[in-house]
Amino acid sequence: MNRLKPFAYFEPTTLPEAIEILAAKKGAAFPLAGGTDLLVRMKRGVIKPSTIVNLKRIEGLDQIKKEPGRGVRIGALATFSAIEDSHLLRLSHPVIAQAVSVLACPSIRNLATMGGNIGRASPASDAAPFLMILGATVSLKGPQGERELGMGEIFSGPGTTASRPAEAITSLLLPDMASHSGAAYLKIGRREGMDCALAGVAALVTFSGGKREAEDTKIALSAVAPVPMRAKKAEKTILSGRLTEKCIREAAKVASEEISPVSDMRASASYRREVVRVLTYRALMTALQQAREG
Amino acid sequence: MKTNYVGKSVPRVDALEKVTGQAIYCVDVELPGMLYGAVLRSPLAHARIIEIDKSAATRVPGVKAVVTGNDFPYTFGHMVKDQPFLAMDKVRYVNEPLAAVAADTEAAAQEAVEKIQVKYEELPAVFDPRKAAATGAPIIHENLERYDHSSMYKIVPGTNVCTHMTYSRGDVDKGLSEADEIFQNEFYIHPVAHTPMETHAAVVQHDPSGRVFTVWSSTDAPYQRAKDLANALGLSFNQVHFLSTYSGGGFGGKGAIVAEGIGVALARFTKGRPVKVVFSRQEELTASQVRLEAFLKLKTGVKKDGTLTARVAEITWDNGAYSSKGPEVARRGAMTIFGPYRTPHIRFVSQLVYTNKQPSGAYRGFGTNQVTWACEAQMDIIANKLGINPVEIRLKNFYQDGDRYINGQVMQAAGLRETLEKASQEIGWGEQYSRSTGALVRGKGIATTIKGTATPTDSYCFIKVNFDGSITVLTSSVEIGAGQKTVLAQIAADSIGVPLDSILIPNPDTHVTPFDFGVTSSRTTYHMGNAIRMAGQKVRKEILEIAADVLGANPQRLLLCEGKIMDKDSEHEVSLKEIMTKKYGGKGGTILGDGHYTPARSSIINAEHKIQWMGSIFWMWATHAAEVEVDTETGVVKVLRIAAAHDVGRAINPMACEQQIEGSVIMGISNTLFEEFKMDRGRIMNDTFADYKVASMLDLPVIVPIIVESHHSEGPFGAKGIGEPALSPTAPAIANAIFDALGIRFNELPITREKVLSALRERDPVQ
Amino acid sequence: MKISIDLTVNGERHQVDTTPWITLLELLRETLHLTGTKEGCGLGECGSCIVLVDGRPVNSCLMLAVDARGRQITTIEGLVSNGDLHPLQQSFIEKGAVQCGFCTPAMILSAKALLDENPDAGEEEIKQTLSGIICRCGNYKKIIEAVRTASDGKADS
Repeated sequence: MNRLKPFAYFEPTTLPEAIEILAAKKGAAFPLAGGTDLLVRMKRGVIKPSTIVNLKRIEGLDQIKKEPGRGVRIGALATFSAIEDSHLLRLSHPVIAQAVSVLACPSIRNLATMGGNIGRASPASDAAPFLMILGATVSLKGPQGERELGMGEIFSGPGTTASRPAEAITSLLLPDMASHSGAAYLKIGRREGMDCALAGVAALVTFSGGKREAEDTKIALSAVAPVPMRAKKAEKTILSGRLTEKCIREAAKVASEEISPVSDMRASASYRREVVRVLTYRALMTALQQAREG
Repeated sequence: MKTNYVGKSVPRVDALEKVTGQAIYCVDVELPGMLYGAVLRSPLAHARIIEIDKSAATRVPGVKAVVTGNDFPYTFGHMVKDQPFLAMDKVRYVNEPLAAVAADTEAAAQEAVEKIQVKYEELPAVFDPRKAAATGAPIIHENLERYDHSSMYKIVPGTNVCTHMTYSRGDVDKGLSEADEIFQNEFYIHPVAHTPMETHAAVVQHDPSGRVFTVWSSTDAPYQRAKDLANALGLSFNQVHFLSTYSGGGFGGKGAIVAEGIGVALARFTKGRPVKVVFSRQEELTASQVRLEAFLKLKTGVKKDGTLTARVAEITWDNGAYSSKGPEVARRGAMTIFGPYRTPHIRFVSQLVYTNKQPSGAYRGFGTNQVTWACEAQMDIIANKLGINPVEIRLKNFYQDGDRYINGQVMQAAGLRETLEKASQEIGWGEQYSRSTGALVRGKGIATTIKGTATPTDSYCFIKVNFDGSITVLTSSVEIGAGQKTVLAQIAADSIGVPLDSILIPNPDTHVTPFDFGVTSSRTTYHMGNAIRMAGQKVRKEILEIAADVLGANPQRLLLCEGKIMDKDSEHEVSLKEIMTKKYGGKGGTILGDGHYTPARSSIINAEHKIQWMGSIFWMWATHAAEVEVDTETGVVKVLRIAAAHDVGRAINPMACEQQIEGSVIMGISNTLFEEFKMDRGRIMNDTFADYKVASMLDLPVIVPIIVESHHSEGPFGAKGIGEPALSPTAPAIANAIFDALGIRFNELPITREKVLSALRERDPVQ
Repeated sequence: MKISIDLTVNGERHQVDTTPWITLLELLRETLHLTGTKEGCGLGECGSCIVLVDGRPVNSCLMLAVDARGRQITTIEGLVSNGDLHPLQQSFIEKGAVQCGFCTPAMILSAKALLDENPDAGEEEIKQTLSGIICRCGNYKKIIEAVRTASDGKADS
């Protein structure tokens, strides 16, 4: 069966210690978070790290807590199950539990972490789209200290992030959602059970109470470009007009035109384009309805 | 006859071991001194092997043997002896094994494999069986005609055609000339993987002094595998000793020598130390075997009223690089392409062609999935064009009792009609219902199937009544996962007259348990069931004679029921245990009964001269009716409901029948909508479950299993079979329902979400 | 590189020597000889290897053994208590939820975690919870029935 090859192993208990090891080993060391992606790629021989730095023994990296005045902070090592079950997040950002429920399957969500998902920078990430529409920022810590990157800046290409050498993702900050807002994440795979998204769409509508204009609309997409992306042209279509069904239909069309999907063994570019249009429409309609109700 | 167990949904006798994690599968076997195997596989689809350098591999610490094809130059093959244990002169598909290592640890074996250097000379490869059959195609087996093979399979020398077969009955030209309409359609059915959850595995030990190979395996037919291995190695049958374990699923995939061959090659060189070989999921998906891909052409003449007048079929099957059971699939599968329909004039051409792909072989249905796909889709096409209700056109042409099959066998068709009537009624055929909501559109479809069993094939068993009244049934029918042990124990219990829990059926052991053709072809309940019934009646008779002797009673007046012997005259009751103790006292003893069932002498299979081999001792009938909902904006097909009616003859265990039906429906949905190999120059790109998608629990529709019991005159308690026919109607039923919903006909499988949307857009472009 | 770890498996404490590249699955099967936990793919895609870690189902093929240090592991072998089957084991037998049996340990353990948390779990929740475990015998319908039989609430959620 699939086995891991031997590697040098470190189990730091503090973040500075972890950064020190990562820095000392240069590019040869990989941080281990949940392991659901890293260990798979190691077993398959896609990557061959000589050193593994297990971050799981670092205290406090898995916390989910309110940061008054700023929002909710999710530790990089928080598992998706912890995120899905978080009472705090269910109240503050209900879209997250909805989106996470279609990410892999429960037993994988018990292992997989938010930080690992971002660090993996998969073009088909199920987490990136909702983080993007919620305006999350990513905190990193490295030899040069701490810094924050927006979700729009964190991915630099398929499988790569803008993190510097020996820099580790430590947490994400989710700003509070405005009242009268709604959000949804929709994806399509090849079957109903766990599958890599062929296309994923997250949409957020913030509705100015009583009026028919959307104050704010965000659309983020995965599996249709080298990195998860915001559909900014589509967002503009909505902001420039009244939020009618026709306008949403138009925005969906624009979203399907501003992507750069690839054809691979999972799906063709044209299927992805078509589905993005449909899912964008449906996600916006769902978000709109929630915003009106909220 | 009154039964205590037969006909009841008794819980599975193997369930306790399985729910507690105690059941031992092949992958769980651990032996003292055991080594671990790993395999070097070809990166190329077709290449000459110039040189293999194993020197670096042999130096890896812990390595005990590095074996190449030249070290172990034997070939095997169940039907055509064409497959080397390890590739010798050339490789013929990507991931073909060409060297293997045995080492103290799996890691050492793997490390050594990576150090073997191979030089290849790449050869042109061919992946489409139609192209492979054409002149000028690269030849995959240069000396095809020299391979040992049964005369039943006609090889075409100098080509890639492994089996060519034609058959006709009646006068097709006359039949076509009598038709009002002639339909010509082409169909394609894709290869799919069995994906048993337990991958192929084997533990093999070679005892150099006795020259015996002992093989632990979860194969579906230990006698066939042992026979083929003995034949390959020039050994006698008793020198290849198979010990069956529990099996983590087979579905036909465990019907070939796979990991066993690697294990044998390695064990030959490990000086008596056992070697364990476990395939990774990637190896399972790319280098075990798959369902035969097939291209099918059907030409059918029909009267305006829907009466079939003639049918002509042409099938090209993909054999892959080696034969496995391909030749028999191509033969037996082709025979049922005309469906369960009376057709006066028929002709078929069936050819099986080698390609540079993973070998194809048995897959639940044994060719029936492929031909049913074509036959039942075309029946729908015909019904639609002629404006006849799809249920009516089937009823009109169905075999009736006394009709003749294509070889002249007189059909026992009871049950066929009932499956159609019950399935269509359950799905609400013909009723009005709301067909669309927004982008969602619904439709219904039906499909019927005919499936025979390999005939004539034999089963033997021994029943041992031990000195304490406990019973051991010695059979070589493995528990492949479908409930074989339970059903056979039920038959044994009622045949002898003892409690079910007094019966134990150990796993097969070819040094001990007698011959069985195999757990294949839905034959076990019928064949082994009959053998056990016979043996059971024998031991019952002997028990009663002993009891009469011990009790001084008349054996004719004694009854044996639930392990108790009762004298009808005195109503005196004694337990079997007491009788056995009295008879055998402290010194012990055994009552032994044997059973041998063969259908060879049954009048049921009487046919016309020389074509008796085409018949079947029993025919299994089934109809599936499906309701689907298609999202016309995304192409997502949701199967809402499937009513699956099966004529099983008699349900020995209704719950086990339901398991087979429900499980097949899921497998059918999975095969039809999700599963598909993605190939690049012969390399399977989706070699894990991440990208080879099989149905999950979230893809489960409402399944209504319907058991029809037509009572077979020679079956044990009237039983026939169920494992295979349950799969084949699912695909055409779904496709016919999609047609009903969208008006779009899919003649090629699979019907993925993307294909559905693409077909919709072709018809209705987006404005 | 040897590491000595402490872990509790089925209520029994173990101190074992392992290496960092050994997965929990390998430790259970090969070091502790608890072969009821199965490997179906080794890549987290089939669910056969699911065990409970501190009561929650995880794919043991994707968890390093060293990360099981100090944790409570439950495997299928640990479900029988004082010779009695767990209600789920009983209902799996009675409802015909077992065919080849290879996915059975994972199904039962995942269902146990669900019912421990929510004894009234309904059909939809059961499906979601077990959706990562492939049963190629396709026995999903009977598995759901078995879990529902063992759950308190028969009402759908």
